[in-house]
Amino acid sequence: MNFLVPIFIFTLILFSIFTYSFIDINLSYLKILYTGLYLNNRLPLTVVYTALIFLLFGCYYFLSANLDHLKINLNKLIAFIVLAAIFAYPAVLTFDIFNYITTAKVTFFYQENPYIIYPAELLNDPYLAFTRATNKTALYGPFWILLTGVPHFAGFGNFILTLFSFKVFIALFYIVTVYLIRKLDKKAAFFFVLNPLVIIESLVSSHNDIVMIFFALLSLQFFLGKRYVLSFLSILASILIKFASIFLLPVYLGMAKDVIIGQKINREKLFRTCSILMFMIFILSPFREELYPWYAIWFITFTSLLHKNKFLQALVLVFSLGLMLRYIPYMATGDYFGNTPLIRNILMVIPVIAFLAFTWLKKYFPSR
Amino acid sequence: MRTCVILTLFFFFLLSPSKTFAESPYVLPYPSAMPGSIFYRLNLIQEEILKFWYFGDFGQYKYNLSQSDKYLVEAKTLFDYKQYLLAYNALQKSDNYFKKIMPAILSAKKNGKVVVDKENTLREAAEKHVEEVVKLKSNLPPTFEWQPEKEEPRTLNFHESFDKSIELRRETL
Repeated sequence: MNFLVPIFIFTLILFSIFTYSFIDINLSYLKILYTGLYLNNRLPLTVVYTALIFLLFGCYYFLSANLDHLKINLNKLIAFIVLAAIFAYPAVLTFDIFNYITTAKVTFFYQENPYIIYPAELLNDPYLAFTRATNKTALYGPFWILLTGVPHFAGFGNFILTLFSFKVFIALFYIVTVYLIRKLDKKAAFFFVLNPLVIIESLVSSHNDIVMIFFALLSLQFFLGKRYVLSFLSILASILIKFASIFLLPVYLGMAKDVIIGQKINREKLFRTCSILMFMIFILSPFREELYPWYAIWFITFTSLLHKNKFLQALVLVFSLGLMLRYIPYMATGDYFGNTPLIRNILMVIPVIAFLAFTWLKKYFPSR
Repeated sequence: MRTCVILTLFFFFLLSPSKTFAESPYVLPYPSAMPGSIFYRLNLIQEEILKFWYFGDFGQYKYNLSQSDKYLVEAKTLFDYKQYLLAYNALQKSDNYFKKIMPAILSAKKNGKVVVDKENTLREAAEKHVEEVVKLKSNLPPTFEWQPEKEEPRTLNFHESFDKSIELRRETL
């Protein structure tokens, strides 16, 4: 199975190259790389996307099923994955990174409160040409805004440098999250690090969910290490990045109860509860906006720690695949409306239904 | 026949008794809590806190304009209820906030920000404010002797105050 690792990395490199077909026409800074392919060749690009996604998930399936036979160092694996994905164009599936960059600019360059002044108010700013949702004030918590100061200043006012500073900054959180998981369970780290959804959403699209989840995980580690003040500060940091982690608070009540009555904290139970709570907020997210694939990072982090449950791992894998398929209708049509929402949901559930049906058939009609 | 219609229309407009004013499209906010209410005190605290929350040139522009609007509406409401001293003070507060708007715009300009839309909004707001103050001036006497229960009486120079408010706002038009 070791031969799959280079295939997996090579597919990731292909995916990174593929992302450059989606360079926005208004992104003058990358004009030299603009091809306009996404405007006129939507269908072929969608086919390529689907093939790459299936290839990545296929590799992931076989690699995660044979972790015991895998002879690769985790550090090397992380390094290869990060290097393969970090140079990808980040706005292929979503435009959130531009929003992070522009919000940071509103705060640190224009020195305006991003919760009051929305980017569109800063008329003539060149970033407005390609940033989406410029008519909204800051969408994330204050700690995230504060953190974005680091990549903002590291960019020295140069857009390309800033873009990749943001990518590197978020990739660092992906790396440290993997190390935190490894501290808890080495095998779990492999489940997490290889998940194509986690890789694409954290290293390609550079969503800040990985940053939020890092602080949540760090907080749990501190609590387990009886460093309660640091644990509190970390979960607070996580909540102040994205409010979703507020759903983890009941876990702390449970752990506090165990500490008070002198009972040992059951880690398996702890991660199961975290997975359930994060899955709940994930499922509830359409009430606020819609079911975004990168929100799955919230529960995948914790389910990877439950890797002994083979059924759960397989379910998470097929659901991750289904979530990545959600991008297909828009990629193919360029239309967010019409049948797109319906097809998106159908594509998301098909792998899950197929897997459940297959499991059921295997259970009731075992092969002889 | 055509001449008849034109003449009728001409006389209709000529004899039309109502005067029409060009009204600013700017919309003032609803009246907030009024003095005497517990919420009014809370609003005063909130106002002080928000001063820091609305940092930055555009932030200060928004803050001062919204406070100026709020106090103008407060003044208007209190004048309606003949709470002249409170109304008079509210109008002065509105003026004080209004004075701080232009420096925020100038600072934004100095910092390289495009302020065309902010200047337009301010112009519309100023027009609206002037409209409201002119209405107040036409409905109130030039001065009023305010007689508090346990204090010395005080003369409130309404028209002088209104003229100041109008002048201040006209400077931005």
